Amino acid sequence: MAAASSERFIVRAELRAGPDVVISYGFDLTASSVFVVTEWHAAIGTSVSLRLSFPTILEPIDVVAEIADIRVAGEPGEPGGIRLAFDEAEVGVKLMAQLARGEAPGVATDRPYRVLLVDDSWLIRDMFAYGTAKFFERPGALAIDHAGDAEEAWGKLAKSTYDLVIIDYFLPAEDGASLIARLRADARLSRTPIVAISVGGRDAREATISAGADVFVDKPLVFRDLFNTLRVLAERRERARPSVERKSILVFDDSPFALALTRAALEAAGFTVAIAADLSSFERQRVAFDPDLILVDVQMPEAFGDDIASTLRGWHGVQVPILLVSSLDQSELERRAQRAQVSGYICKGAGMSELVRRCREVLQVAP
Amino acid sequence: MEDLSARFLPQFVKLARSRLVQARSAVAEREPVAITTAAGGMHQLAGEAGLLGLHDVVPLARECEAEAKALHASRGDTDAERMTATLGELERAIEQIGARLPATAPES
Repeated sequence: MAAASSERFIVRAELRAGPDVVISYGFDLTASSVFVVTEWHAAIGTSVSLRLSFPTILEPIDVVAEIADIRVAGEPGEPGGIRLAFDEAEVGVKLMAQLARGEAPGVATDRPYRVLLVDDSWLIRDMFAYGTAKFFERPGALAIDHAGDAEEAWGKLAKSTYDLVIIDYFLPAEDGASLIARLRADARLSRTPIVAISVGGRDAREATISAGADVFVDKPLVFRDLFNTLRVLAERRERARPSVERKSILVFDDSPFALALTRAALEAAGFTVAIAADLSSFERQRVAFDPDLILVDVQMPEAFGDDIASTLRGWHGVQVPILLVSSLDQSELERRAQRAQVSGYICKGAGMSELVRRCREVLQVAP
Repeated sequence: MEDLSARFLPQFVKLARSRLVQARSAVAEREPVAITTAAGGMHQLAGEAGLLGLHDVVPLARECEAEAKALHASRGDTDAERMTATLGELERAIEQIGARLPATAPES
């Protein structure tokens, strides 16, 4: 609760003051106030009706608030708007209690929180990837997928399930508002939470909110706020996740025989096992399966396992143990394991018993 | 773990035989892609044998892998003869394992 009250994350904010209705977004939500980004102003002390919400984080909560401060737009990341204060005892307690809860029962919780980012800017997409790796202590809790235009996004949405979709308004060919309207008209996708983003200001906000976006956030994005929001979402998924006795292991090897044998041995030892024989399958499994341990063969046709491991560590921020598994000489394998900064290595020549023993050792599982 | 080995050995022997056939063909043709495939197949065979604890097979498979790489570079008769000889040793080791398998064991 303390963490939620002291950090910035994004909420939808609907303001009503007399005849004026403003739909915007807020951040810096505490137990007693929130900052709402808006061009709408009234005198300090003016009373407004405020509804705050964010899909799966915050059920709509109605608040009577007062304008406590007005800020004109400043440096990037400091948008203009108003700080609204509300009664901490009456409203703040309810707010913080909601934020501290896990996801509702019945939500699929055996996988990471999945986000689809629809933006044609490679730099924005790279910033998300980099931010995810840097920001999340446990990156496996959040998986971000990308699409460069509406058609690519639609294809991904048809094939996969996402917990949140972030859509840029200015997309090539079909704009973000049109894509949002398609999502809302689709029976399967209509309830998917959507965050619209754009440099387009009021016009883009009105277009995307009218189309059905839950929240609109101005660019330049304040990544800290957005990632805080995603982290809260991912943490709620984590809290709701049932405790699992069986540790999970993802095995990546280009030999189908080695995969079958390793899987059989590890399953017999009580582990839950997923396997991958190529890079695309490995990446899919890694995101969907969220393993406790990764075993990677070294010499494979598409890439060397130690290069894959060091990329997972250095770029993706993967922190679960990774073991190299190979029939290379022990000295060569040891050298590669050290260079890749993995948790260790297993010589295939040592046999299945040793492989199982090392997995138990790394995962601290008793035989 | 013994049960597991027994379950997987017939499949291993079948796979090893097919890799030996491919490797012999690659040596005969001296075609670069086939030799590369043979080297990869021998590397996989060494790993699979290692996991099954077949310690006689592992060094022979690794030797074949190294000889395939040498043959790929030279395409010379000496490297081809050397690899043919090692493939013969490897085949004998595989057939010794095959001979110990129960006659009724499924092959896949």
